[in-house]
Amino acid sequence: MPSEHLIIQAYDGIVLAKITKERVLEAPVINALAEDLAKLVDRYPKISLVLDLADVGYLSSSFIGKLMALFKAVTAVKGRMAVGGVRPSLMPLFQVTRLDKIITFAPDAEQVIQLYKRKPL
Amino acid sequence: MPTPVHMFPGDPPQIPDVLWRRTIPARLSLKDGLMEEIEAEMSGHGLIIDEDRHWLLLCLDEALVNAILHGNEADDAFPVDITLGLASGRWVIRIDDQGHGFTLDSIPDQEEDDSLFLEHGRGIRLMREWLDELHYWRGGATLWMSRGIP
Repeated sequence: MPSEHLIIQAYDGIVLAKITKERVLEAPVINALAEDLAKLVDRYPKISLVLDLADVGYLSSSFIGKLMALFKAVTAVKGRMAVGGVRPSLMPLFQVTRLDKIITFAPDAEQVIQLYKRKPL
Repeated sequence: MPTPVHMFPGDPPQIPDVLWRRTIPARLSLKDGLMEEIEAEMSGHGLIIDEDRHWLLLCLDEALVNAILHGNEADDAFPVDITLGLASGRWVIRIDDQGHGFTLDSIPDQEEDDSLFLEHGRGIRLMREWLDELHYWRGGATLWMSRGIP
């Protein structure tokens, strides 16, 4: 089932994926999001993926696991991935699990897009 | 420092002041409604502040998924019991499943670099960050999590 909570925009070789659901807790929602995000890796060779989490206020450890799986898939095809717009209240979740050590986090997605534009793959 | 996890032998103590109790079949589709019910109950008793709501939901999600999927193996012939109450100035949530429990050794150590790239195993580490107590009894089939009342 395609996720109804994901907006995709692709331009200049950069793919922006914005999750539009505030509570990313239900397994069907998380699985649908993960499937759709994984498809982007297949569709765009050497993807520059920017994941916008500005609308997300609640998430589960399962979603963090899916994020790690996505990061591994992106790096496996020599792509790159960053996360933008994580609310300050949620940032400790990524720090405790040390995802912030391997995935780039930026205050907003636009910053990552500009960075990726300046440094194309 | 994250809260240590304790595994105690035998049965847990009773919660002295029970506020709310439910028994559900081990069906994952019931989890989200149950979480909303617990969240509303805790809000009604002034046990949670808005800034901490994402932590509460994360902990509830983790605990209920573990009980339903891992404890009762999603077999809805087996019940999951959830109790909310007060003990020693803290709110307490106790969750009992009918499974065989687990060993603490089976939880990936999130401080190990090998664990960093795993796609699972972060839930208990996250719970330890926010909770004041994370205890297990009955070999891990009973969870007891608590935090001071704000």
